[in-house]
Amino acid sequence: MEGAAAATHTGGVAPIPGFAGTSPRGGRENEKRPFALIATESGVRRLFAVDEAAAGLGLFVGQKATDAAALVPELVIADADPAADQAALEALCDWCARFSPAVAIAPPDCLFLDITGVDHLWGGEGAMADDLVARLAANGIPVRTAVASTPGAAWALAHFSQGEVIAAPDATMARLAPLPIQALRLEAATAAQIARLGLVTIGRLAGTPRDQITRRFGAGVVLRLDQALGRVEEALVFRRPRNPWFTRLAFAEPISTPDDLARIATDITAAMCARLDAEGRGARRFELCFHRLDGLAQRIAIGLSLPGREAARIARLFIPHLETIDPGFGIEVATLTADEVETLAPRQQRLDAAAEVAPEDGLAPLIDRLIGRLGAKAVWRADPWPSHTPERAVIRRPPLAAFPGGGWDLARPRPLRLFRRPEPIEAMAPIPDDPPVSFRWRGAQHRVRRAEGPERLAPEWWRSPRARVRDYYRVEDDTGARFWLFRAGLYGETPAPKWWLHGLFG
Amino acid sequence: MIMSSKARLQAARALVSPASSPPGPVLPFGDDRIDGLLPGGGLPLARWHEAGGEGLDVETAVSAAAFVAAVITPLARKGAVVWVMRRDDLHAPGLFGLGFPTRSLVQVKVRDETQALAVLEDALGCAGIVAAVGEIDTVDLTAGRRFQLACERHGALGFAIHRRPFGGQTRRSVSGSSSATRWTIAPEPSEPESGEFGLGAPRWRVSLDRCRGGRSGAWIMEKTDEPYPLRVVADLADRQLAPPQSLRLVG
Repeated sequence: MEGAAAATHTGGVAPIPGFAGTSPRGGRENEKRPFALIATESGVRRLFAVDEAAAGLGLFVGQKATDAAALVPELVIADADPAADQAALEALCDWCARFSPAVAIAPPDCLFLDITGVDHLWGGEGAMADDLVARLAANGIPVRTAVASTPGAAWALAHFSQGEVIAAPDATMARLAPLPIQALRLEAATAAQIARLGLVTIGRLAGTPRDQITRRFGAGVVLRLDQALGRVEEALVFRRPRNPWFTRLAFAEPISTPDDLARIATDITAAMCARLDAEGRGARRFELCFHRLDGLAQRIAIGLSLPGREAARIARLFIPHLETIDPGFGIEVATLTADEVETLAPRQQRLDAAAEVAPEDGLAPLIDRLIGRLGAKAVWRADPWPSHTPERAVIRRPPLAAFPGGGWDLARPRPLRLFRRPEPIEAMAPIPDDPPVSFRWRGAQHRVRRAEGPERLAPEWWRSPRARVRDYYRVEDDTGARFWLFRAGLYGETPAPKWWLHGLFG
Repeated sequence: MIMSSKARLQAARALVSPASSPPGPVLPFGDDRIDGLLPGGGLPLARWHEAGGEGLDVETAVSAAAFVAAVITPLARKGAVVWVMRRDDLHAPGLFGLGFPTRSLVQVKVRDETQALAVLEDALGCAGIVAAVGEIDTVDLTAGRRFQLACERHGALGFAIHRRPFGGQTRRSVSGSSSATRWTIAPEPSEPESGEFGLGAPRWRVSLDRCRGGRSGAWIMEKTDEPYPLRVVADLADRQLAPPQSLRLVG
């Protein structure tokens, strides 16, 4: 991953659009006055965040609200609302999708943008960061940005270095070395303890033997250091763009009877399908979610083998699964999302009903019903697969998947019934490498009248190194029943070769 | 209302005759020795049929499956075929070797008889499905009647292959059945062409045990390719030789 993460940091004041819009500062005349947010910590009201003006007057985060009010009587205060902060940060994250498709939230105040392979669209990392800062500043959101090779380094540089930083991949250590130990995203107590030992900068910490750090402070410190320096990969949880195919039904009174659930499934499907129809789309996957009063969400997912938007048909697929829903004290909201949405042109209904039937009318609904009832693994079409091992020459695909073409080799007859596990037989084969003259299978003796073979199949040694060579014979007994036998191993080998019955010809 | 005695007799005959319903489309075998016994000159579509075996075939049902696959091959070229089974040991390369177009075959694995009957009925009543085959132990009268109604909806051909689960009990005897035909299929030693080694084309001893509106018979048949999937090798002359008309009057 090349110069990958950009952290935007927002300074002391809660920086987020939610505040810019719904600021409780009041009217215009208040705009120049210092502003602070208050949060109650263990019964004491303390400053949670301060803006630049307040900070300039000597106020700081963690100060008692009464002290601050005494020092700066004109201070405007409001209650902190972490939930609104989070929502606003999420909104900002969605907005940042214009810069990179992969944006992750690092609460409480930071966003990571994976800009690998997208910065050239702005003419470089610097221009991209400038554009980001300028656009946010136009909305009244102060941010700090940093570009670095790892999320950890970008976070550290955005929070603790001055100005806009772009760290070249080979300069990460040099850039991080002078930063304080808090820049490693450590718990406040741990960071303070490390600093008390004199290891005040990252550079000093990196120079200390790792085993000693681990012994004193746990593995977390070394992990954070390694993540910042790129020695260990760090997984970011990127926020997915919201699915636009989303419908919601809320009820004035909670519902719980099976009839109501069925009616809701029908209604919400109809609403979604009307939308799909209006935009000329169809979807392959639908997920119906019932949200209970106690907050539990129960989901039913169904799939279609061809994209569709016929409300009645899709609702019928949901209804058999409704009995798995436990309504508890009641369900207050139902949501439906559609996935794998594709363009679906409206079809013309045929006037001649007896003529050929399109798969959308006949086969596809049947397969959807069967999959809904029996599971996706119980309905399949067997397609050729390039393997000479008999049991692997077939691949099971969804019945309406595109046909890959081709077939099996007709010169090598294969049985109509192939046993999943070959069954052992007692065979009499007088001469090595000849088909048996008689064999015993399931308690019945069979005299071989005609035989064909051998067809030697080498095992796939990369799968099972101890598998043995198989010599297959097609034999017919005196009643005409046709069998597919094989001898595993060769004569003269130890252990002695064994005979198996692998399938039956019709 | 005055009717001549002849007309009254005809009306009465029309009431009791099973041939009163107009013969629908059929699937011919391409040989008069079989088609002549079947009403309408072939295996009637929009009906359901039964096939079974004897001996080991009761559990493996392999000859019956091969015969049914061969019979419905011309249909499978025109539309989808659903094959319902409890044991998924049907091997597509084997079907392909019998000339069956496996790309139009949908295989369904079910857990029990009840499910198999339900899936078969659902599939038969579906547009675009030309045939549905089920490997089941028994079809009772109710299920058979439901099959029949499902087959009539879109003219699909139904086939029930009797197959006992491995190690299962002896088949429950069912007194009657609403199927159009009932077949028993047994393997028959193949005859390779002179000068060739190994096995010849697969052969079966096919016996038509019961045929609604037709007569029964038995033949030795061999798998061929064109124009029909099966060829009559020999007529096993153990069938009733009564003329069809008199049979109808009795039945």
